[in-house]
Amino acid sequence: MRIELKREGGLAFIPGLNRPHVFKLGDLPPAQADAIARSVQAASFFERPARVGTASKGAADQTRYVLTIEDEGRRNTVQLLEPVEDPSLRALLDLLKQVERTAVRAAPQSR
Amino acid sequence: MILHPRWHRHSLHCVLPPYLLRSIAQNGSSAQRAAALRTSAVDNTFRSLRFVSNPLGQRSPGRVIAGMMAESQCYRSIYDVEGQETFPGKLVRSEGQGATGDAAVDEAYDGLGATYDLLWEVYGRNSIDDSGLRLNAHVHYGRNYDNAFWDGQRMVFGDGDGELFNRFTIAIDVIGHELSHGMTEDEGPLVYFRQAGALNESMSDVFGSLVKQRALNQTADKADWLIGAGLLASSIQGQALRSMKSPGTAYDDPVLGKDPQPGHMRDFVRTWEDNGGVHINSGIPNRAFFLVATQLGGYAWEKAGHIWYEALRDTRLRPDCGFARFARITLMAASRLYGEGGAEDTAVRDAWNQVGVPVTREKVAVAFTPPQGVQASKPSTRRPQA
Ligand SMILES: [Zn+2]
Ligand SMILES: [Zn+2]
Repeated sequence: MRIELKREGGLAFIPGLNRPHVFKLGDLPPAQADAIARSVQAASFFERPARVGTASKGAADQTRYVLTIEDEGRRNTVQLLEPVEDPSLRALLDLLKQVERTAVRAAPQSR
Repeated sequence: MILHPRWHRHSLHCVLPPYLLRSIAQNGSSAQRAAALRTSAVDNTFRSLRFVSNPLGQRSPGRVIAGMMAESQCYRSIYDVEGQETFPGKLVRSEGQGATGDAAVDEAYDGLGATYDLLWEVYGRNSIDDSGLRLNAHVHYGRNYDNAFWDGQRMVFGDGDGELFNRFTIAIDVIGHELSHGMTEDEGPLVYFRQAGALNESMSDVFGSLVKQRALNQTADKADWLIGAGLLASSIQGQALRSMKSPGTAYDDPVLGKDPQPGHMRDFVRTWEDNGGVHINSGIPNRAFFLVATQLGGYAWEKAGHIWYEALRDTRLRPDCGFARFARITLMAASRLYGEGGAEDTAVRDAWNQVGVPVTREKVAVAFTPPQGVQASKPSTRRPQA
């Protein structure tokens, strides 16, 4: 399973936090990979529409995540606007944000 | 109460300089207050000073007071979301209640208060909608949540992850920033995309910074002009999220990268990201405001703030307003408030020129509204010479 997660928006545009992060489940610690695989299932990710959540009129500084997952010939991209109300999608996003957090710190910006 | 061409209720500020409003509200004699409050019987909402305006919505002094209410109506509610991402959470502090000892709760409460006070005491505006809207903030949102946002009706603050960011209530200007989005939505709106979106963002930085400067009683030359000072964790190489004084210099860090804000049109960033660079190109109008405020000296919320506030309320501010049009509107506002050819008008024009947004007198038709309720001089009655 290949996962790409990209953060957009937020109170500031911060280059180091707005890069896409690509990772394969096989490269993660097994426990973390299992949790993500289960969560992708539980969230029915491949059946989700392209956008989840709509910004209210006048909303600002909200974060959105663009999440693409490929697995066994299937591929889906979903834009998730925070706050994500759906519990199973939120749980999936939480797990992926942990991976993102580790990746951000491990791969400093080239300057 | 009036209905503007945009069907938007406007308060006294529409027609009188705000310091006059403030003066009536705060220092009016009891007789003046009584007289004003008597007339308010026709407007039993008792919410704010309402004026009758002419059908064209033109602003001139000396209109009839329809109602007045001299007390502020700040009403704050702070909710603790307790690490969840659902609303509203638990109500932990309401208006008038004492400090809780939870820093995020108390900072949010104080920040909302400081923002309300700036709007009411300086601009005569009763909350972000000018109708006494109650202010709700939700703190401790999510786990390690690195953001603060305005969802269209409430402010939401994360605690930060502690490695990159501290709690988002730590910077009072960020609280003012989020609330000001509500004000811009009410007055503008300015669509959240490209130049109009960058103006929307800049408006929030301007009023957010003014909230901080006023809370610290700082003149323009003493202020740091940073947005989000204290927000970056100690390991990060940087001092804030943005600098209005020197856009592009707020941080330069191995993890976060370098502050991408331009301070001049020649460095304008064209991008599809960030809603077309709304948090990036806001550096340009931010710096223009900084230049006006420092050129004029004194407290930035006084003259420079009034000019920007007047511009935000101008009916010519369209939702898709670009920098050039906004610059003209601020110049018209400066001339209307302080007179044509004065130091204010010059400072505004110079500032926009310095950031690469030339603004000329052309197309700037000005109806000068003299301050302090002095009757506007009538147009010349002399007929054109044959
Ligand atoms: Zn904003
Ligand atoms: Zn108006």
